[in-house]
Amino acid sequence: MSQPAAQLAASAAFVLAAAALAYRQRLGLSRTLLTAALRAAVQLAIVGALIALVFRVPALAVAFVAVMVLTASLTAGSRMRALPGSRRIAVAAIALPALSATGVLLLVGAFDATPRATIPTAGILIGGALLATTLTGRRLVEDLAAGADEIEARLALGDRARDALVPLTRRAIAGTMVPLTDQTRSAGLVTLPGTFVGLVLGGASPATAARVQLTVLLTLLLVQLLSALLTAELVTRAATLPGERVRVPGAVA
Amino acid sequence: MPARADDRTDDLPAGGLVVRGLRIARGERVVLDDVSFEAPKGTVTALVGPSGSGKSTLLRCLNRLLVPEAGGVLLDGADTAVLEPTELRRRVGLVAQTPTMLSGTVRENLAYGLARDAEAAAEPRLLDALAHAGLAAPFLDRPATELSGGERARVALARALTRGPELLLLDEPTAALDRAAARHVAATVTALARDGLGLVVATHDLAFAADVADRVVALHDGTATSGAPGELLGTAAGEPAP
Repeated sequence: MSQPAAQLAASAAFVLAAAALAYRQRLGLSRTLLTAALRAAVQLAIVGALIALVFRVPALAVAFVAVMVLTASLTAGSRMRALPGSRRIAVAAIALPALSATGVLLLVGAFDATPRATIPTAGILIGGALLATTLTGRRLVEDLAAGADEIEARLALGDRARDALVPLTRRAIAGTMVPLTDQTRSAGLVTLPGTFVGLVLGGASPATAARVQLTVLLTLLLVQLLSALLTAELVTRAATLPGERVRVPGAVA
Repeated sequence: MPARADDRTDDLPAGGLVVRGLRIARGERVVLDDVSFEAPKGTVTALVGPSGSGKSTLLRCLNRLLVPEAGGVLLDGADTAVLEPTELRRRVGLVAQTPTMLSGTVRENLAYGLARDAEAAAEPRLLDALAHAGLAAPFLDRPATELSGGERARVALARALTRGPELLLLDEPTAALDRAAARHVAATVTALARDGLGLVVATHDLAFAADVADRVVALHDGTATSGAPGELLGTAAGEPAP
């Protein structure tokens, strides 16, 4: 059997085994597992074909990155739907840090300014920014509702709305960054991150793979912190009402 | 006949709150309409009415945590809508029904937000506020979040007092208390009014209202009637609320 055929056969067998196991254990998950697998197969096939095209036509790379930002922003925006302008918040918090960092890496020559290098780099940074934005935004929306009494207490003591929200935003940013820094700390020991694996499988030397992976991981730390900070700032603005009042998501104003 | 407060438009020499034609809505629903009353300094005004009648909502319009649809609230003759909200809320303090303790000690709670006002945050001022709320000096260094419900209520009162308010809004101060503790709160409220503070107390406890109130604002069917306690509390006064 050829290698591509073996890859297809093995992965199809594994997902069928997972579905069969779930069925036998009556987990009610078989259909979900199969549709998720099918969806991944279709998406990756389309992306594979598109990327081949994008690699040949550099102008399409810009459109491809734009679609990545848009998709990420819709996902993150839906997590804080309770706030007005949640999609705009997500676009800014994801695109600004991720695209600026990609730009800097290309400008200083850390990566070649080719679609082949730019798209995966931008993709990883956009994905990281998406995670940070979602975690921070969702936590803030939850805490705005759960912490309404504490916010009211601070406002009643003479705090500005912005100051009354500071303890919430600090907690949300810290809560976001802890798992993300854990991921950086465990790189190479607990997990072999995707960039490293991809480069090694693609034929790069392990030393090159490690260097590129480190560049991406460390860039991600700043990108994700900036995304968390931007999300906190924009949610603070969206939750602040005139007259030093705070909007509680879900409550009638 | 209870007189409508807005029939009396004479100025209040002592200053205080004047509420005129307030309409309050939550979303599309009008909670209260055409509410008028006066709460002069040195007096206790009780807001009475069944739960859901809008007492807490009305209280929060007085320090503009909520903004009314129509009408206005004057503080010493000045429209509260044009006052700086942070200044208004220091001058008109609010103690919530279940007060939230901020993290840290009682001292940190009392001095919260007073960093720019060294005099207000000074030890004697904190102790004075604590004493007014019926707590002794050793409480200053207790972790605030470990206090009992009754102690929290007192710390919240002291915390509002450290800001040197002219008026205090108390939301159901006796809700979780037995008769003896409620009488203690009544004594505290009366003493604060004697010191010149204006108090507006939302309560469903008519016996407590009868104990402390100089005037009563009764909320019913989305509007308010104000008058003397004897007129409005009627025969219900003296009976603990169910």
